[in-house]
This record gives sequence, C-alpha cells and structure tokens, in this order.
Amino acid sequence: MSRVPFYLKERLDEIRQRVLYETYEAQKLPKWEQVVLTWIALFSFWIVISGNARIENLFIGGIATLVISLFMYEMLTEDIRQTGHIVEKILYIGLFVIPQYLFIMAFRLIESNFKVAKHAILMDINPGIIKIKTDLHSNTGITILANSITLTPGTLTLDVDKKLGETYLYVHWIDVETLNREVAGEKIKGDIEAWLKKIFW
Amino acid sequence: MIEYLLLLLGESIMIFGTLGILRFPDVYTRLHAATKCDTGGAMNILIALAIASEASLLIKLKFLVLAFLIALINPMVSHAIARGAYKYGIKPKVVVDMYAWDNP
Repeated sequence: MSRVPFYLKERLDEIRQRVLYETYEAQKLPKWEQVVLTWIALFSFWIVISGNARIENLFIGGIATLVISLFMYEMLTEDIRQTGHIVEKILYIGLFVIPQYLFIMAFRLIESNFKVAKHAILMDINPGIIKIKTDLHSNTGITILANSITLTPGTLTLDVDKKLGETYLYVHWIDVETLNREVAGEKIKGDIEAWLKKIFW
Repeated sequence: MIEYLLLLLGESIMIFGTLGILRFPDVYTRLHAATKCDTGGAMNILIALAIASEASLLIKLKFLVLAFLIALINPMVSHAIARGAYKYGIKPKVVVDMYAWDNP
C-alpha cells in the first residue's frame, strides 16, 4: 500500500470502508438481543467474581449489570453474526460452541507444549515468517483467531494486516514446511477458523 | 490422584519451557517457548489446585477464571513483544521473511 499514490490511496480506503459497512449492517443483531447477551455475560462474571450467593448480592449485581449493559451493549456483541432466535442462539453458544472450542484448544495446547519440549531438546528448528489469508473481517473474530494461532503448536502471530476488505496474518513458524499460502493456511489455522465462522462474520 | 498428575505435568512443562528459553537462538523462537509453556504449565497447576483445595465451589471457580485470564492475556503480550521487537529493528534468523517483503 505504501507505493500507491496518495489520491488513489484515499479512494481505495473509501471503497473499503463502504464495503465493510454494508456487510456489517446486513449482519447486525437487533438492539435488545445485544442487551440481553451482554447482561448474561456480565452477570455470570459478577457471580463468579463476587463469590457469595445470597439474594441481596444477586439483586444488586443484576441491577448494576443491567444498567451497564444498557449503556455499553455495543462493545461486546457488535461482531456476532445474526442467525436464528435468541434463545436458540444462547443455548447453541453456551452448550455446543464454547465446550467444542475449549476441547479443541486444550488438546492443541498440550500438543504444542510437547512440541516445544521436543524442539528444545533436539534443536531441529527451521524458522520463517509466512503470510496467510483469512476469511474473517470482524475485530473480535480476528483477535480470537490470532490468539488461538499463538497457542497452537509451532506458530506465533506477528502482525495483522487489512487491505481492501481482505485480512492477512503474518505468522512466525518455527518449522517451515511449505511456502504455498493455501497449504500453509490449511496447516496453521486448522479447524479453528471453521469454528469461528459459526459466530463471527 | 489426578491432581498430582496434573501438578507433575505442569511443572515438567515449565522446566522444558525454561530449557527452551535458554537454548533457542533469537527473540522470536524464545517467545515460542515462553508463551506456550507458561500458558500450559500455569493452567495445569491452577486446575490441579482447583481440584485439590478444600474451599467452597465459588473459590474453585475463581481458580478457573484465573486460568481463563492467563490463556487470554498471554498470547496478546507475546504478540506485542514480537511486533515491538520487529519495529525496533531486531532481525530474525529465518529462512524466509515475508513481513520484510511487504514492509520495506
């Protein structure tokens, strides 16, 4: 992007903003669903953090988190894709998607620990920085994908770049096997991206 | 019984992470060892403590919240250190560097 002239760069930024804004507006949740999802997340966090389960504590926490979620409903849930009814969505996220993600990531983390131990003992490293492409656009989704890539075996996210509505990740790979972008993305991302596409756009 | 296995696993992961930090050649490969082994070892030790301690259920839940926060914060910190080191000018010892191709 740095070699493009200035007027062309401004025009390209404008087109990118318009495309992203339209896809974002088409997939946004209604307001009360955002408030309810934010309230559920904040209230469960309040119960665990405050640490006693008496009735007046729950009452005060419920009122306070409801007021906070009425003001701040856009921060947590603006990236969630619109699919289905809200009860169905809460049950689907809480019972299927999050346990699936925890299960995947726990085994990938154990595997990456053993892989780092193997590399530290044998020193068979062959490092390189690879650029891969991802299909996600929302900020929360890209953040979770980059953090998951850092915890999976052999890879570490260096930087994220958004150009013309497409998102690229620069990944430091400790044992480079291929330079092809598709094959490398398939090996690095695995099934994390297919999982993230169920919730985020 | 299972908490001693988890404690042993966590401590051996921590030891191998330290070995990796001492033996790897440059900043980026050392960050691999630091991030993954700290996250895995600390989470294993916290889950073992949550099983073994004789506290109430809500305090055990707080151990799990700590493990969740560690898993959330640790990759972000490693990304910040790696990007800051690259912007500062430390060259990585690599076979291919596509980040330098796109940011001349």
